[in-house]
Amino acid sequence: MKKYLTLLSAILIITSCDIVEGPYLTDEAINPVDTITNSYVKKVLVEDFTGHLCPNCPDAARELDAIHDIYGEQIIGMAIHVSKSFARPYPASQAPSFQYDFRTQWGDNWDNFYGISEMGLPRGMVNRIGYPDNHKLSKDEWATEVSNELNQEVDFGIDINSTINSITISSNILNNVNGDYNLLVCLTESNIINWQKDGQENVENYIHNHVLKSVLTDENLSNSTSYVAGDQIETLINYDLTALEQYNIDYSANNTAELGNGNAGDWNAANMSIIAYIYNTNTKEIVQVEEAQLNN
Amino acid sequence: MQLKKSKMNKKTLFSFVAIALFTTFSFAQNRALPNKEVKTLDGSNFNITNLENDGNPIVISFWATWCKPCKKELNNIAEIYDDWQEETGVKLVAISIDDTRSMMRVAPYVNASDWEYEVYLDPNSELKRAMGVQTVPHTFLLNGKNEIVWQHKGYVDGDEDELLEQIQKIAK
Amino acid sequence: MKKIASLLMVFGVSFTGFSQQLNTGEIHGDFGLNLQSYQEDELIGATVADEVILNNAYLNLNYTKGNFATGLRYESYLNALADYDSEFKGNGIPYKYATYSIDGLEVTVGNYYEQLGSGLIFRSYEEKGLGIDNAMDGVKLKYSPTQGTYLKTFIGKSRTHFTYSDGIFRGADLEININELLSSENKIKTILGGSFISRYQERSNLIFKIPQNVSAYAGRLNLMYGSWNYYGEYAYKINDPANVLSASKMNYARGKAFTQNITFSKRGFGVSAEIHRTDNMTFKSDRDKDGKAYLINYIPTLSKPHAYSLLALYPCATQADGEFGMQFDVFYKMKKGTFLGGKYGTKLAFNYSRINGLNGGNSFLNDNTEHSPMLISIKNEELYFQDINLEINKKINKKIKANFVIANQTYNKDFLEGHVKGDYGVLNSTILITDISYKIKRGHSLRMELQMLNSKQLEDYSAHVGSYENGLEEPAEGDWGMGLLEYTISPHWFFTVQDMYNYGNELSKKQLHYLNLTAGFIKGANRFEIGYGKKREGIFCVGGVCKLVPSSNGFNLSISSSF
Repeated sequence: MKKYLTLLSAILIITSCDIVEGPYLTDEAINPVDTITNSYVKKVLVEDFTGHLCPNCPDAARELDAIHDIYGEQIIGMAIHVSKSFARPYPASQAPSFQYDFRTQWGDNWDNFYGISEMGLPRGMVNRIGYPDNHKLSKDEWATEVSNELNQEVDFGIDINSTINSITISSNILNNVNGDYNLLVCLTESNIINWQKDGQENVENYIHNHVLKSVLTDENLSNSTSYVAGDQIETLINYDLTALEQYNIDYSANNTAELGNGNAGDWNAANMSIIAYIYNTNTKEIVQVEEAQLNN
Repeated sequence: MQLKKSKMNKKTLFSFVAIALFTTFSFAQNRALPNKEVKTLDGSNFNITNLENDGNPIVISFWATWCKPCKKELNNIAEIYDDWQEETGVKLVAISIDDTRSMMRVAPYVNASDWEYEVYLDPNSELKRAMGVQTVPHTFLLNGKNEIVWQHKGYVDGDEDELLEQIQKIAK
Repeated sequence: MKKIASLLMVFGVSFTGFSQQLNTGEIHGDFGLNLQSYQEDELIGATVADEVILNNAYLNLNYTKGNFATGLRYESYLNALADYDSEFKGNGIPYKYATYSIDGLEVTVGNYYEQLGSGLIFRSYEEKGLGIDNAMDGVKLKYSPTQGTYLKTFIGKSRTHFTYSDGIFRGADLEININELLSSENKIKTILGGSFISRYQERSNLIFKIPQNVSAYAGRLNLMYGSWNYYGEYAYKINDPANVLSASKMNYARGKAFTQNITFSKRGFGVSAEIHRTDNMTFKSDRDKDGKAYLINYIPTLSKPHAYSLLALYPCATQADGEFGMQFDVFYKMKKGTFLGGKYGTKLAFNYSRINGLNGGNSFLNDNTEHSPMLISIKNEELYFQDINLEINKKINKKIKANFVIANQTYNKDFLEGHVKGDYGVLNSTILITDISYKIKRGHSLRMELQMLNSKQLEDYSAHVGSYENGLEEPAEGDWGMGLLEYTISPHWFFTVQDMYNYGNELSKKQLHYLNLTAGFIKGANRFEIGYGKKREGIFCVGGVCKLVPSSNGFNLSISSSF
């Protein structure tokens, strides 16, 4: 009898289930957060590893857009095209479809290092959190990680200024921190109209946004490993857009093993942005990121 | 002095050997069947420790409808099963590890093949794991006390001869 | 001396008697090791491993004493084989348990496996060939309150690689065997069952309401009468949307599935027919993650598991989100002495299976759209897979046995492999197999297999202007041939040489041979196998769950032992 009761109570542990009735939107659908100009807020970088031959990838881009709609400017996205099977351009006989090579040397290096495309695409990282075991996130996991990251401490604030041939990054220390930090500055381009496989279709005029184009610098933020609140570190980077564009063209043309075709130019400076982020070189975690239109 | 020693040695040796024999005999237990349940072809539960064959040997053979060598083994033995039973009283118990995908094909296959074995189902591999079976076919030989005395992995044509030899060794 | 001797004898005798009552319990288990080397081979595009050799190994250790058992499993991946998930890394003891049973109650704590009904809503199992092991970690209870009623309940978290998934599972199952319960001798046997499973996973989503407790229910009925056997199970899962923010991706539709089969069997003849339908029945241990390591239920594919390699070249993966399938099997043994049966009798096995999509796709429900596909819809829906095959098994004389297979398979490569529609189209293959064993002398046998696959692409696959030589999307492989020679020496040895030749490939550089040599030694509880050769890149499926196997070239060693 005793055992009968124990078993019965064991069954009663099972809780009721939650059947949700429509409408499915919550009552508090949040408006995008306005960035306050006087103080720095925590911003999060979502890296979306993708490819124009990847039919499931536009879903990830749409998920990233939905996250951006909720949190506004606190979310900075970057699309990184990688891998031979997903991002290789088609041969010239197939022109004009899928002729562009969106890949870059840095994107390919990160893909190898973090092991992203070997898990299949789409896949990404949120602030490179979780390295080395839990950093490869499927698109369904981005929303949760983003909201976790947004609650983290803001230790740095970044200001970006640019001219036609130089970029100045001001890194402001907001709290006393210790660690080995690097500053990485890169360029992305949006509004690229080109081919993309989307589900069961080949879309000719897909709009590719925040596509990684070039990494300008990835160096120590400063010589020391301790940072004092109130300090400011200025980093000046000179750049030549034409030379950077040519670098990508050469990389693609020489990338015969991965079927590159040299078609990596045609940059439109008016659609380009600068993304700068500070990350911990040991944990790889990105602690602050900022984005600004390129002034060219 | 030497004589005394050898006398003592003989006797001590004898007693030590006797003890060694007794203790080895008592500690060397043959492996018993695990306390696990399988399903009969008509859906009832059956505890494998309840297998019995009047003290005669039992052969347990793990198989599956998708396993070619398993079917070969059981079909080859089926042809001479009557002779085996007459000679040794052995009973063959065929345990299918087919899961939900092919479980419903077991009964039609067994009947169409005209097997006279006792067939059981182990759909989630509970018994398979408990007996340390990794791949099929895997065959065990049990003595009259349901203790495992011999086992063999795999099957190639002619293995049934070795199985018969082992059965004959322990048949009463 | 006599005194000492007799004292020792008494000691020995009493010790014997004592130890037989002592019953110190038994320790037994099994060991497995699988090692492979990965060499460069550009022709087949082989994966090369930096480590040169990759290795999976495990040891199961069990201690049983009466009604008590405990044990553990040690697993080692240094590093895991190339076709295993890369999260299998390092060593550990991911499986440990203790269980006892007393007066009909069985208690298990630690890791355990379990299946509710046929697995439609829950199955925790291991399939080493696929690298699947979603063992539960928690508490499981089993009890039979009266004769004929069987109750089980459990709570736990599901294993994924070397950790446990977020979701907490609570489940229960009640099975009633009416005949046993009522001690009835009725010719109709009835077994009823009901099961329940619920997953709790904490979630917050800024714009959508996400249920935190997702439960699934299933009811089953098994009827047996004479040579007939009917089994039916119906499963229902409440809304289980992913935790995303894109409105168009939110799906609040319920999950529904059913599976039914009827079999008839008597001496020399057996028939089996089954159908199943799934709609939104993907159930994962973590709603946000992807991959076979997170599946918590089991919906097997309704196609015949094939052992011959060319029959399994294009296997069907279950579409738990939406598919309708049916399968039909006939087993017949033509008696010996009849015209067709020949001197020894002939066995026939016929199989037909067909799997297609649901009308308009699976159920969908959110604020903007609502769709519910028809219950049964076959002819007009997208065909995923079809298989018609006949196997003839015949003993020709005392020395020769033969097996013949003829099959035709239709494989929707675009859909089943996740390509864009039109990339490969639908493949239709006709396969012929001859398998002959020749008994040279007592204990020595030679077996020869010859297989041929003739494949063509059915639907108009578009957008392929120009030849494939330019390096575009490789064409579907085309025709294959396969030959195998196996020499076995009972009871210990086997040697095999096998070649698969893709002679029909449109790309001449891809018309490759995949040659393989294997040798093995089996003695008692130990089995050693060593092989060398090339493996084709392919999909390996067990029960409808599939993994991608990369092409490789190298030697492999596998050892297994039970003790």
